[in-house]
Amino acid sequence: MTLNSRHRLLLSAIVTAASAVLIAAPATAQVPASCVKGVDLSTLGPASIIGQGPNGEKAASPDVLALSEAEAAKIKAGNFKVGISMQTVNLDWAQLQIQGITDTLKKYGVTVTGVASAEYQVDKQIADIENTIQQRPHGIISIPVDFTATAPTYKKVSKAGIKLVLMDSIPTGLKHPEEYAAMVSADNLGNGQIAAQVLASCVPQGATIGLVNFGVDYFSTNERTKGVRAWMGKNRPDIKLKQVDFTDPPKVSQIAGDFLTGNPDIKGLYAVWDQPALDTLSSMRAQGINIPMTTVDLGLQSAIEIAKGGPLKATGSQRPYDQGVAEAMVMMNALLGKPTPAWIGVQSLPVVQSNVLESYKTVFKKDPPAELLDACNKAKPACN
Amino acid sequence: MIDLSATQVAASQVARPPAPAPAGRWRKLARTLLRGERPYMLYVAFAILLVVFSLASPWFLSVDNFLNIGRQTTLVSIIAIGMTFVIIARQIDLSVASTLALSGMAAALAMAHIDNNWVVGAIAGLGTGALVGLLNGILTTQLAIPSFLVTLGTLSVARGLAMMITNTKPVIITNETYFAVFGEGSLFGVPAPIAWTLAAVIVGILLLHYNVFGRRIYAVGGNPTAALYSGIRVRRVTTLAFVLTGLLAGLAALVLSARSHAARPDVVQGMELDVIASVILGGCSLFGGRGFILGTLLGSLIIGTLNNGLVLLGVSSPMQLVIKGAIIVAAVAFTKR
Repeated sequence: MTLNSRHRLLLSAIVTAASAVLIAAPATAQVPASCVKGVDLSTLGPASIIGQGPNGEKAASPDVLALSEAEAAKIKAGNFKVGISMQTVNLDWAQLQIQGITDTLKKYGVTVTGVASAEYQVDKQIADIENTIQQRPHGIISIPVDFTATAPTYKKVSKAGIKLVLMDSIPTGLKHPEEYAAMVSADNLGNGQIAAQVLASCVPQGATIGLVNFGVDYFSTNERTKGVRAWMGKNRPDIKLKQVDFTDPPKVSQIAGDFLTGNPDIKGLYAVWDQPALDTLSSMRAQGINIPMTTVDLGLQSAIEIAKGGPLKATGSQRPYDQGVAEAMVMMNALLGKPTPAWIGVQSLPVVQSNVLESYKTVFKKDPPAELLDACNKAKPACN
Repeated sequence: MIDLSATQVAASQVARPPAPAPAGRWRKLARTLLRGERPYMLYVAFAILLVVFSLASPWFLSVDNFLNIGRQTTLVSIIAIGMTFVIIARQIDLSVASTLALSGMAAALAMAHIDNNWVVGAIAGLGTGALVGLLNGILTTQLAIPSFLVTLGTLSVARGLAMMITNTKPVIITNETYFAVFGEGSLFGVPAPIAWTLAAVIVGILLLHYNVFGRRIYAVGGNPTAALYSGIRVRRVTTLAFVLTGLLAGLAALVLSARSHAARPDVVQGMELDVIASVILGGCSLFGGRGFILGTLLGSLIIGTLNNGLVLLGVSSPMQLVIKGAIIVAAVAFTKR
């Protein structure tokens, strides 16, 4: 028997129509009511920077970077040029850093020659830095994609007489102050502590929590997970920790979903930054799992999820715009020939449902957009 | 210049799927599904994987986990259906992941600007995908540029456009119906993404194995010159294969954005390799003229099952890559026998 064209059309129409009426809500469990409630915002997270730099340096505050009027005038008269080399520009975090740098440099009359985006590729970043060196800027501000393979290229920066300010990580073997002026990063250990503290309030005694961790050896992400483990070990030793590592961020949804399937005893989750948290959340939704989760970093979508009061309960946010400002300031200090600290730490920021709007303003330096306000209004009075 | 020797090509040289036999419908269906040179070994390879992981992990053999695998392979499976047509037609499409990203952005932006209407969003997403496919088809057939180079170019253009539209920012989606229809709902207990995959598979089987269009695709891939002299509009058939792939990339974009509650311009980079791997593992020939839809589905399920099983066993991430690569090569070698 063969299908004639009418049958074929009919069958196609039935399939398509049936597929287009898929409406059902997945079943969900309930998050404990105690979640986040026992956490006092005023004592949430560390009161000061608790982390250390990659080489054990003590944190310097961005406040030490202020310029006098005479120094500002020197900078303005210097016609300085600075290039930027990022790992990606596709993150709120990266865009805020760039904005903080460019706004600050512009204020002092320093020209930004361009922003290169390596898209996480080592070879592209090497080319980006080499090309930026060819533009003969006075300084380069950069975040290394990889701190080993890019190290020889970063060494070329100082050899060319160009000042180097780093974000988040120091390439292997670079010496301060000869080869880089400073490294600026968030207090990632503190951010991990915030994520741990809130998550602990959401799980019962003796519970198991899962850590969705970045499996690549990287200073800032290592510090976050270290912060979670350290806080749990000290304050909630009853909690059992299980960890899954990912090396390829686009695969997080699958890896986290399988991790939850293979470990049904997990009662809470921590994800190492906000995008993996959101990808994990999409797997949880698909599987009908509703367990509390915390993370590090704040983007618009993660802010909306926190505002809704869904599984994502809190984040220890960086302040990328403020970090960008600090990077620009330390670069100008270096251009003036002033001594600069090896590591500048920027204070962590706890974000939960009750302070998400205010936190958004603090991090993004602008009013929350309509989508976030709408999500928050639907979750009143818990959301503010 | 016309190659006159081509006129000597007999119609018998045109690759065709086996003609329908006057046998019963079930025998015919079985033969349709088992089309290809190595289907049986493919099923055996898949069965071996299932047995090994079932014995190795207590969490593997469950309905929930199979639904997991189904959901996780959705995007690759849907696009691979279209890619099967393209590869059988002796072409390649490297732009599918970028097309998905651009289509997702188009769907989300259309909803954001037109009354949060999910139907408009779906049409915008599917339309954008089809449009990129049409562009690939026209550039490949009308300008006679190899599809590898054309789609390498559109891979870059589509990704760049997806990033430019919002300056790389994600677009939040808030339409609950959209989430239910494409991402989180279910039909008779089958999760929406899996239902859409099954719909794409059924439509793919109907088009490739029960339709004159499918026969023309085989003919074009088997011997384009003979197909041309047999009266087949080779350019049109090839272009339609690209359009179908783009359309399915658009559908995959709707599924992904509904699951994520947002469209992001940087999603699924590199996924085109998983798609191509699924199609080839499923019995398609990179030289065209051979392949079948169910094989492609099996190919993507084999890769998805590998990804799932290795995580359940707690294998470290770098070791997963090694094992996955080795098993894929072994599976291809095994099923070629």
